[in-house]
Amino acid sequence: MDYLLHILIIALIYSIFAISLNLELGYTGLYNFGHVAFFGIGAYTSALLSLAGLPVAVSMVCGMAVAGGAGAVLAIPALRLSGDYFGIATLVFAEMARLFFLNERWLTKGPMGLPGIPRPGWIGGGVAALPMFLAFCTLLTIAAFLIIRRLTTAPFGRALKVVREDEYVAQALGKNVLTLKIKAITVGSVLAGLAGGLWAHYITYISPGDFTLTETILVLLCVVLGGRGTNWGPVLGAFVITFFGESVRFLPIPMDFGHFVAPLQGMVYGGVLILIMLKRPEGLLPEYKG
Amino acid sequence: MIYYLQLILNGIIAGSIYALFAVGLTMVYGVFRFINFAHGELIAWGAYLALLFTQTLFSLPIYYAVLPALALTIAIGLAQERYVYRPLRHGNRISLLIASIGLSYLLRNAIRIIWGSDLMTYGLKPTRGFAFAGLSITGTQISMMAAAVLFLGGLYFLFTRTMLGKSLRAVADNMELAVIMGINMKRVSLTVWSLASVFAGVGGILLALDTNLEPLMGLTNMIKAFAAMLLGGAGNVWGALLGGLFIGIAENVGVAFVSPGYKDFISFVIIIVVLLFRPKGLFGILGGVR
Amino acid sequence: MKKFIIILAGICFLLSGVLTTTGAAEVVVGAVTPLTGKLAVYGQGFQQAMLLALDEVNASGGINGKPMKILFEDNTSTSKGSVSAIQKLITINKFPVIFGPAASSNFLAVCPIAQQNKTILIGAESAADAISKCGSYVFRVFPSDLLQGKGVAELIKYLGYKELLLTYVNNDWGVGLADVFKEQFLKDGGRLLDEFAYDEGKTDYRSEILRIKKASPKAVVNLTYIKEGATMLKQAYEISLNVQWIMGSAAKSPKLVELAGQAAEGIIGTYPTFSQDTPQYKVYKEAWEKKYPGKKTPIFGEYNYDMVKLTAKALCDAKSMSVDDIRSALINASKGFIGATGDKTFDANGDVGATYGRWTVKGGNIEDYK
Repeated sequence: MDYLLHILIIALIYSIFAISLNLELGYTGLYNFGHVAFFGIGAYTSALLSLAGLPVAVSMVCGMAVAGGAGAVLAIPALRLSGDYFGIATLVFAEMARLFFLNERWLTKGPMGLPGIPRPGWIGGGVAALPMFLAFCTLLTIAAFLIIRRLTTAPFGRALKVVREDEYVAQALGKNVLTLKIKAITVGSVLAGLAGGLWAHYITYISPGDFTLTETILVLLCVVLGGRGTNWGPVLGAFVITFFGESVRFLPIPMDFGHFVAPLQGMVYGGVLILIMLKRPEGLLPEYKG
Repeated sequence: MIYYLQLILNGIIAGSIYALFAVGLTMVYGVFRFINFAHGELIAWGAYLALLFTQTLFSLPIYYAVLPALALTIAIGLAQERYVYRPLRHGNRISLLIASIGLSYLLRNAIRIIWGSDLMTYGLKPTRGFAFAGLSITGTQISMMAAAVLFLGGLYFLFTRTMLGKSLRAVADNMELAVIMGINMKRVSLTVWSLASVFAGVGGILLALDTNLEPLMGLTNMIKAFAAMLLGGAGNVWGALLGGLFIGIAENVGVAFVSPGYKDFISFVIIIVVLLFRPKGLFGILGGVR
Repeated sequence: MKKFIIILAGICFLLSGVLTTTGAAEVVVGAVTPLTGKLAVYGQGFQQAMLLALDEVNASGGINGKPMKILFEDNTSTSKGSVSAIQKLITINKFPVIFGPAASSNFLAVCPIAQQNKTILIGAESAADAISKCGSYVFRVFPSDLLQGKGVAELIKYLGYKELLLTYVNNDWGVGLADVFKEQFLKDGGRLLDEFAYDEGKTDYRSEILRIKKASPKAVVNLTYIKEGATMLKQAYEISLNVQWIMGSAAKSPKLVELAGQAAEGIIGTYPTFSQDTPQYKVYKEAWEKKYPGKKTPIFGEYNYDMVKLTAKALCDAKSMSVDDIRSALINASKGFIGATGDKTFDANGDVGATYGRWTVKGGNIEDYK
């Protein structure tokens, strides 16, 4: 039972992460392959501040702000690039962030990571706190979901879709494409920072190895599998991926083959990405083309 | 002073390999107009396949093992095209990119399943390098430069003196027109992928001879190849060559000034800077497989 | 679609409950082990050594007549995986004792969780200094780096190098050990010509080697692992860099010599020693050869073996299976417990002591350095 709570919390955190990426990728058509950088920035900022003594809530909000700020700062120059190049630039940015976390030991304790990150005071630690944390996460996930839903059903959301389909049309319609994109990235980064903060305070330990290309692939998979351009899609994707990842732990694999599990999972993830693109690019929950 | 000269020499050696990688990547871009994220895996598979042929079953000495390894690498390259890229070519741009990321993840994990995640070597004894004028270079490194010169020279010959080469250039210029003019697209496709695979594979084997093999070798080198390609102007083969040399030298000399942990960071910074200020490249004038 | 997923997940959980239910007639301990991922190569060895000890425990009557078992959870050699694994072991299986993960950063990630949940966590390979402060439920049979850092500084004093270059792997183990060494070395009046960390797992260390060459040191303290060390040695050999290499315990392996060949000649290093002449060690060695004929004893295998045997003794002695009773039994059992790796008496922090011996590579073999 408690373990189920643990997996649900992870799935919810990834839901927020996936929803935020979906805003950029699914709605606006921005190939942000470096989204994990903002997850990491949110996580590290919140962790460092709370370890320095600030209350957890304040730290998390700061984490979101810094992540959002970083997003905006990256967006302004990066948006001069189109499609593929934007994708590579964001990918490279994520790697740069990771190298920064790894090398700046005076700040982030480098590869040793930050252990003992506090849980929010009113939740407490230990197994008994899990249901509380789950409630906390659920509330935040719902909040994030509603915010995004509000944004996407509003004219803002429709404008983003137009930008995705054809930028020139969007411009012709009088939309300031650049501002729209920057807004989308900023909101996406803020929410990624939220997910990162939640992650840090839940796991109570982060290190640069938590924010690698693998996480990018995972969240991409969540969005793509679940369905881009819808709001429930990424949530579904996050749940499926999280449950799949954890359920593998229960398969009775003979000891000798133990070391095949992770790369095999990796192959499955890669293969699934390819198959989805080939067979059902819109994902499990297709966008309503109305 | 000697210190810096040695760094530059190391840079040229590394750069000649990066040039091989970049040329393959840029050729594919020039003709098909997309960035093959899985190009790095051709590098890695080339090296690992050579390892396979030197080991138990075949026990060929390394220089003979190269041939079947390259043949199989070409097969992988062609399979990438046939099963993943060709079906997606005319569809959504993002699908192609995501499929290519998925493919790279798949191939990388396949390596980990077959050969494990550990570092491996070809098992050659360490040798003293040749010393001249206070600098040092090993036999392998000389072969690396020689191979680069040989292959790139061959490529030049192909482009300028043969019909096939000219078809390649035509297709890179304007695919539709070339097809209308009767150029055999299938042959061109076959040639481009074979060349890209061979260059990647040879570079991978040489790199592994000089250092070691590890599953991530494809990814890290692909990012550098990409940096080189950008510097030279996407699609510009000779630009990619110069770009590769530049990256090699910049990396090696840069380490004298920053912490070695940031070595990869240097190529990333170059990517970002070029993308922001001169996306058309420094060394190329216009695109195209020239 | 969603319903289907939820049902599927539910089935997985039911299955897991069935699969991992253990009878009351067994005593089960959890273990978080790197079975996959970059430490898998060592993880296999740890597992085999633990199973070896387990066989012996069960052959001599188990825990008061009941067989002992170990449930291994893979941590994929990552901290994230370690946290997942330990959560499962604590929440679903509710084991009172868990054998912790290998890498120090993985161990540090889970020890707050163990401490908060009042679960005993024992480590057999983690050396980081910070682990001593993990809490009252955390123990390790492997000595802290605080001791090895001093050991390396002593070796330097013995060899008489007043200035040298310090370089190390940029991770939990390397950074921790380097810090301890540096503090002692500087206190002894030494001078550092240069100091830098390098990434592990790289294939090309030429830039680092050149930086070493630039400082022209006579001795280099290189706190590294087997693969990284071998690569650096080979590449230093190529440019004819002649220095006295001083290394730590992580590089001490025949594989280093195998990979680096001639380039490894003459290295001197420290390692936590235990005499291989003791009867306990011989028992371990013979049992290993019987169960795994032809395989070399794995690195740190002896520590894992001792850990299991000590835990078994504590479980036998414990007044009940409650965590606090097991804990006091563990502390008592360790007093004067001589395992294959020597005296395992726990101090107030749950650490053990160690003596540090010196090793060197001569004629292609690893020998003790006199």
